[in-house]
Amino acid sequence: MQNSIEVVAEDRDTYYMNMGPQHPSTHGVLRLKLHLEGETILSAEPFIGYGHRAHEKMAENRDYLQFLPNTSRVDYLSGMIYNLAYCQAVEKMMAIEVPERAEYIRIIAAELNRISSHLLWMGTFLLDLGGITPFLYGFDDREKILDILDSITGSRLTYCYGRFGGVTMDVDEIFVAKTAEFCEYFRGRLDDFQRLVIGNVIFQERTKGVGVFDPELIQHYALSGPCLRAMGFARDVRKDEPYGIYERFDFEVQLGQRGDCFDRSTVRMGEMQQSLDIIEQALKELPDGPIMAAKVPKRIRPPEGDHHFAVESARGRFQHYIVSDGSDIPVRHKLSTPSFVNISTMPQVMPGTMLADAVAILGSIDIVVPEIDR
Amino acid sequence: MSVIAEKLKTHAGIEESTSADYATQGYHYLHRAQAAQLPAIATLFSAADFHLEMLTCVDLRESEQTFRLVYQFNCYGTPERHLIHVAVQPEAKGASISAVFAGANWYEREVFDMHGVAFDGHPDMKRILMDDDYIGHPLRKDFVDQDPQREEMASAE
Repeated sequence: MQNSIEVVAEDRDTYYMNMGPQHPSTHGVLRLKLHLEGETILSAEPFIGYGHRAHEKMAENRDYLQFLPNTSRVDYLSGMIYNLAYCQAVEKMMAIEVPERAEYIRIIAAELNRISSHLLWMGTFLLDLGGITPFLYGFDDREKILDILDSITGSRLTYCYGRFGGVTMDVDEIFVAKTAEFCEYFRGRLDDFQRLVIGNVIFQERTKGVGVFDPELIQHYALSGPCLRAMGFARDVRKDEPYGIYERFDFEVQLGQRGDCFDRSTVRMGEMQQSLDIIEQALKELPDGPIMAAKVPKRIRPPEGDHHFAVESARGRFQHYIVSDGSDIPVRHKLSTPSFVNISTMPQVMPGTMLADAVAILGSIDIVVPEIDR
Repeated sequence: MSVIAEKLKTHAGIEESTSADYATQGYHYLHRAQAAQLPAIATLFSAADFHLEMLTCVDLRESEQTFRLVYQFNCYGTPERHLIHVAVQPEAKGASISAVFAGANWYEREVFDMHGVAFDGHPDMKRILMDDDYIGHPLRKDFVDQDPQREEMASAE
């Protein structure tokens, strides 16, 4: 594939500009080397690794349980999903049965976390585009979710709530009541956001037709998550390869059409609604019973061979690839993250757009830099 | 058996082809292939509308004296996941498939950075996560951090 617009006449003035690593719209430490002519981007090259913490190396130096606290640090915005994904991966390898109640609690916690992640995306994306109000609104609501999750996990962002075979702490009536109350309240807020953000003319002007993903990119990069769904492809790991008890839930995959920044926004807005539906359904059906499997092996020694497990995180398809040699330390533990894929498409997506649009595009794909670098 | 699995069985460079248990392991087929044939195999997958989900490397020098590249292909819709194991001798190179799947470009750079296995035919074989002047490949099993900066920082304390 062509990487950039290299056809630049010799007499035209072009220059290079570094965006980042400390630019606020890069959401962490990411550097983009932009080749510009005036304000038009001719080529863009992302430089990553500033937030590399060697999670994979750590995984290969300790046993399975010891790696558990690392998982939510991979993506601190939807840490619950990453934490539970690791538990589910190990449970699948070890054939551990999880009690019904724990499965429902996991769904509620993961979907709450997905909403909080999307809310942060909305706030910061709008902030990147110059609108400060939605940021304050979004963070206000996000804080409500974090309080709810805090009450059952004891932490604000980097949860370690899952255990192999269940969850650490049971939810009580207060949690159920608070979550139900939040769902009702948040539906009204979503209508507000719909008017305030999606209906806003300035927002539409800034995002419609900007950062369109070429359909050719889908196969080349194995796109997933909201970026893919915004292009009209109904792909969601929760539907395609249901894990946990997702197949019991009735929800429709949110779709866009053109795959521009605007569609990616509407898809995420729809997903918040969809998560609310899932949470309400789970709260209604929440059974009584134990929250931990009765028998969990003390030493986790998965069968020899390759193991694969994927979930739908807030940003797309996240997978654990674990190679075991039958001992209690993995030979290889690869964390395959969606942001890594999304940001690697930038050399194809950015050329031809304006410098100000680069900010919009980066914001719309919802990158989390530590998740890229791991 | 699927169409592509059938084709792969007789494809040049495929040494072994087995079915896996999807319910427990998460993938459908496991193949062993020769490194040089990977671009041709990737082209076959590309033509069948598959995509490259993941590419990584496993350091097996202790047990098998080789590195193992792992390619993971899948298609959208009903999942049909193929893992391809490619044994690469230490000091040898893999064959780049970034011309077939542009997404492989970064995965290959990551393997080069972390395991020190380079890829023939890659347009820009350089480090991706570590600094350009970093010494060593962190995900090798015998890795010892030799970063001179680390010494400096330690002595400054």
